[in-house]
Amino acid sequence: MSVALQPTDMPDRHESVGVSRRCFFGAVGSVGLAALAGCLDGSFAPISGDDGSAITSAPPTVDRSLPEEYTTDELDEASLSGGPGKDGIPSIDEPEFAAADDPPSRLSPDDPVFGVELNGDAKAYPQYVLVWHEIVNDVVGDEAVAVTYCPLTGTTQGFYRGASEFGVSGRLVNSNLIMYDRGSDTWWSQVLARGICGPHERAYLSEFQVTWTTWGQWRERHPETAVLTENTGHARDYGGDPYGQYNPRTGYYDDESLLFDPLASDDRFHPKKIVVGARSADGALAVPKSALRERGVVVGSVGDIPYATAYDEELDTGYVYRNPNDRSVEFDGSALIVDDNEYEADGLPLERVIGVDAMWFAWYGFYPSTEVHG
Amino acid sequence: MSTWTQFDPAPRRRIDETIAATALVVRRRDSLAVVIFVGIGYLAAFLWAIGDLAMRPSAAPSLIIVDDPLVRMFQRTGPASFEAVALLDTGVVRLLVSPIDVTIGLAIAGLVGLNLGLTYLAVVQPTACGIGAGSGLLASVPALLSGTVCCGPVILIALGIQASGLLLTLFAWLLPLGVVVLFASLAYVAGRVDVANASS
Repeated sequence: MSVALQPTDMPDRHESVGVSRRCFFGAVGSVGLAALAGCLDGSFAPISGDDGSAITSAPPTVDRSLPEEYTTDELDEASLSGGPGKDGIPSIDEPEFAAADDPPSRLSPDDPVFGVELNGDAKAYPQYVLVWHEIVNDVVGDEAVAVTYCPLTGTTQGFYRGASEFGVSGRLVNSNLIMYDRGSDTWWSQVLARGICGPHERAYLSEFQVTWTTWGQWRERHPETAVLTENTGHARDYGGDPYGQYNPRTGYYDDESLLFDPLASDDRFHPKKIVVGARSADGALAVPKSALRERGVVVGSVGDIPYATAYDEELDTGYVYRNPNDRSVEFDGSALIVDDNEYEADGLPLERVIGVDAMWFAWYGFYPSTEVHG
Repeated sequence: MSTWTQFDPAPRRRIDETIAATALVVRRRDSLAVVIFVGIGYLAAFLWAIGDLAMRPSAAPSLIIVDDPLVRMFQRTGPASFEAVALLDTGVVRLLVSPIDVTIGLAIAGLVGLNLGLTYLAVVQPTACGIGAGSGLLASVPALLSGTVCCGPVILIALGIQASGLLLTLFAWLLPLGVVVLFASLAYVAGRVDVANASS
C-alpha cells in the first residue's frame, strides 16, 4: 500500500480550537525580570493564519497504515524537553524567496538544501537557515505545506497543513522533532508523521517528498527554482550551526555521540550513517545511502513484498518503490532498467513510496523491525 | 526567646556587612576597576555562551532590526533566554541584540564583578584572612552553562554528553541557581572584608 498521497487524498479534516497558553517561567523564577518577561511571552499573542485570521483548524489527516512499534503512551512518555519551550525555536511563517540566479550570498553550491517540487513549483530550503527554525509554513504549487527539518536526526519531511500552521513544540522523542499544530495543539512526531498527544492522537499527517540534496544539484535540475532567503523575520546567526557543519561534515553530524537516549539502538552502522528510510503497511526499510551510490539500485523485500530503491546521481538522492509484481529492476552502469526498458530514477513504473533521509540511529529507534537493504 | 529570634540578628548583620562592603567596592577606584573589568569580560563570555555573540570576521558590517521589536524582545527562546530584536555585524563579531538577555547578563556580570571586587579587597587588605578568588569565580560558572540552542544545552552538544531528563531539568535551573550562589558568595566574601580598615 502506498503512503504517497496526492493533495486530493486529504479527508478527515478535524476541527478544533484552543492554543496552549503556558507560562512556565516560574521554573526559573529567581530572575524576577526574566520571569516578568516570560509571562509576556509571545505565545499570548493571537496566532493568525495565512489570511490573518485566527487558526482554528487542525492540519488534514489521512488514513494510513504504517508500522506502529510504540504505543502513543510510550511515545508521549519518552518525549522530553530539549531546552527551548514552545515556539522557542520559531517557525518561519512568512518565508521570502530569491530567484535561482540571485541566491543568498552565503549559500554555496555544495551546501545542503531541502528541495520540494509540487504541481510544477520548485523551491529550495537551505539547511543553514532551517537549522534555526526547523519548520517553514509555506505555500508551494498552490498547496499550503510545512517543510520540516530536525537537525538531531537529520530528517527533512513535508506535510500538508491545510488552513493550519505547524510550530516547534520544544519537545523531542527519540531525538526527533515534535511539532504542534496551531489549530488543535496536537503534538506530531515528525518521522512518524503521527499525532502522539492531543485531540488527534494516533492520526496521520499527509506527507509529500522532500529531497535532501545540494544547492548546486537542485539548481541544475530545477533552474527556475526559488530559494529561501535569510529574511525570515528573525535575527539569527545564519552561517553558524550550533551542532556542526555539513560542508564538510563535522561535529554532531559526524561523531558517534547522541544527545538523548534513542528508543532502541543497533550497532550495525555508525549511528549517524545516512540511510534512505521508507515505511508503509508492509513495514519499514532502510537503505544505506553509501550502498545506493555504489550500486545504482538496491532491491530487497519488506515482509513478502519486493521493494526497489533507485539512485538519482544528479541529486544524490534515492527513490523507494514498492514492487509487488517483482518486476526486474537493474542498473546497467549508466541507466535504470525495468523489464528491459530504461527509466529515470524518479520515474520507474512502480508504486512510489515516500523516502526519508535519516541518521541510522533515529530510523532504527523509531522502526526497530526495519529491513535493511544493501 | 525563641530559636528564630536567637538566630535573627546574624543574617541581618550579614546583610548589613554585605551592603557596606559592596558600597566600599564601588567607592574605591581600584576595586571598582576590578568590578568593571571583570563585569565586561563576564558579560561577553555570557553572551557568547548563550549564542548571542560570535566571531564572524567574514560578515560585512550591517545592522538588521526585526519588526515589532518591543513585542518580540519578550518572546522566550529558552528557559531564560529571549528573542533578539537586532542583528549587528561589526566585521569582526556578530551580536544578536536581545535586550532581556543583555539585562540578565548585565545583572549576573555585575554580581560576578562585585564578587571579584570584594575578593580583591579582601586579598589586598593587610589583615586578609586567607581568602582566595575561588568562591566568586566558582559561583560565576553555572550561569555560563545555562545556554540552550535549538534542541539542547550548548555545553552538552559541544562535549557530546548524553542528556537525561534529570540533567535537562538541572539545566533549566542553572541560571537562577547561579544567581543564588553569586549572592551567597558575595555575602561570604563580604564577611571577610574589614570595611573600616579598607576604607582608609
